[in-house]
Amino acid sequence: MRMAALALKRKQWEPFAFASPSLVLIGFVILFPLAYSFYLSFQNFDLSVGSDYEFVGAKNYTEAIFRDPRFLGSVWNTAVIIAPSLALELLLGLGIAMLLGRVLHGRPIITALLAIPAMVSPVMAAMAWRMMYGVKYGAINNLGRQLGILDVYFDWFSSPVISIVAVVLVEVWHNTPFMMLVLLAGLQSIPQELYDAARVDGANPWQSFWSVTLPLLKFTMMVGVMIRLIDLTKLFGLIFVLTFGGPGGSTETVAFTTYLMGFKDFRMSYAAALSYVIVGGVLILTLVFFWMQRVREARAA
Amino acid sequence: MAIALERSVVVTQRLKRHRLWRRVGHALTYLGLAAALVFFLGPFFWIVTTSLKGNEDFFAFPPVWIPVEPSLKHYAALFTRSSGARYFTNSMVLSTLSMIAALVVSLPTAYSIARWRFGGGLLSIFLLVLRMLPAIALIIPIYIVYKFLGMTNNYLGLVVVYTVLYIPFAVWLLVGFLRDFPVEIEEAAMIDGCSRLRALVQVIVPIIAPGMAVVALFAFIATWNEFLFAIVLTGIETKTMMVLVTSFTSGGTDMFYGEASASVVLGVLPAFAVAFMLQRYLVKGLALGGTKG
Repeated sequence: MRMAALALKRKQWEPFAFASPSLVLIGFVILFPLAYSFYLSFQNFDLSVGSDYEFVGAKNYTEAIFRDPRFLGSVWNTAVIIAPSLALELLLGLGIAMLLGRVLHGRPIITALLAIPAMVSPVMAAMAWRMMYGVKYGAINNLGRQLGILDVYFDWFSSPVISIVAVVLVEVWHNTPFMMLVLLAGLQSIPQELYDAARVDGANPWQSFWSVTLPLLKFTMMVGVMIRLIDLTKLFGLIFVLTFGGPGGSTETVAFTTYLMGFKDFRMSYAAALSYVIVGGVLILTLVFFWMQRVREARAA
Repeated sequence: MAIALERSVVVTQRLKRHRLWRRVGHALTYLGLAAALVFFLGPFFWIVTTSLKGNEDFFAFPPVWIPVEPSLKHYAALFTRSSGARYFTNSMVLSTLSMIAALVVSLPTAYSIARWRFGGGLLSIFLLVLRMLPAIALIIPIYIVYKFLGMTNNYLGLVVVYTVLYIPFAVWLLVGFLRDFPVEIEEAAMIDGCSRLRALVQVIVPIIAPGMAVVALFAFIATWNEFLFAIVLTGIETKTMMVLVTSFTSGGTDMFYGEASASVVLGVLPAFAVAFMLQRYLVKGLALGGTKG
């Protein structure tokens, strides 16, 4: 009855008029640039050469996917940074969330304190850590020497492997709090009766974790991992400040390589093509993730 | 009798053991959380103390963890020598303008989706897809267009970009708040002769103001934290705090510790404030990309 009255009063143009300001803006600032960038990716627009350009077909794409060791290397680097970061963020986040679930007093304040790193910008997080990694005055070397663990000033960005470890550590520090918050919300939505039932059936805490907590938390974990995975493919500010891609390009991520291609070498067309390769890659990754999930569910059913 | 006594002894022993285990468990829980707090807050502690140290404290060994005579001279240097005051103001102005613009533009769209299911669900999915879009795919064409229009190194250009980047997130959250809003109140206002837009502004907005404040604070932080567009589109006058901080990295790993740490402290200040104000909404906001530009 009420709905009918509303429908009667509603003017046909109103929904569109209300929605249009933001849609027009999205069209101008997101959709048009994306279309222009797509057009550009088939030209050879290079600002370091000049402002003239011509159609070159799919040359930029074939170069990116088959002939550019730097870009392919950055895909590998990104994967090498993502895999341990995701695993550690998930494990640590779950551990801390479960500890928080057992706390009786002061849970809100502890949670808010632990959440702070996730609110800070990647640039600021990286800057703080870059200073902590500092060779002579950094907190880590100083603490290590004071405790007698390190006997020399150690350069944390001298070798590719250690640099990647250093980047992963900062990334884990920065985003574990997000995973913790998501998993804490998931844990709190599991009804207490299930744990009581498990205890009555004689399950020890370990068993109730495996047969109650984990299965019911699986969906939340999936969502959390998915969000982090998509965000990690955009890793840029952290790298810019912490290593600037070094040493020897070993921490150059896809977003960072594309940035350098566009704003250091000024190969605009090629950078546009790279950004489309990245978008395509993330899309495929997302679809594979969902497909795997469905296959597993189908097998379980 | 003897058997009963023995049994009660066994029971109390078991109870005692149970209580002991529980206490150990609690101790371990708090110990683990204390370790987590040290790991996640330690860097902030170190940055704050470093920003208050005198220059001689940087070189001291054994290291000075807490400065004996804290001084604000690095902040003074940051504000004068590095024009930090200007860039801090830039960040404040940019974030405030984008926050207001994003709210004003997103509210009617959210209303349209919440009340009339505008776009039939497709629009919401479209907005979610936009949130997944990497910023690097947008910066290249936007840079070329802005260069052509002469809009680089310009507040307006940045505010427009930040506002639009924030629309998807703001609409998603606002739709949730508007759906919870009872239609009856709005109808009553409209029966009294109020236009729909006036009902939205004068009746709904005051009531969902707390929800809008949440969206606004996330928008503020997102703009404050944004880096890629800031570094490409700003010039010497329009730099933000994020761009200023990166200028201290030029000195290798041992750089201007004083000013660099002071700028980090100022750069994370809003995040601290918002983390406490938004405790309840952190999960939702972060999941939808509230702090990402």
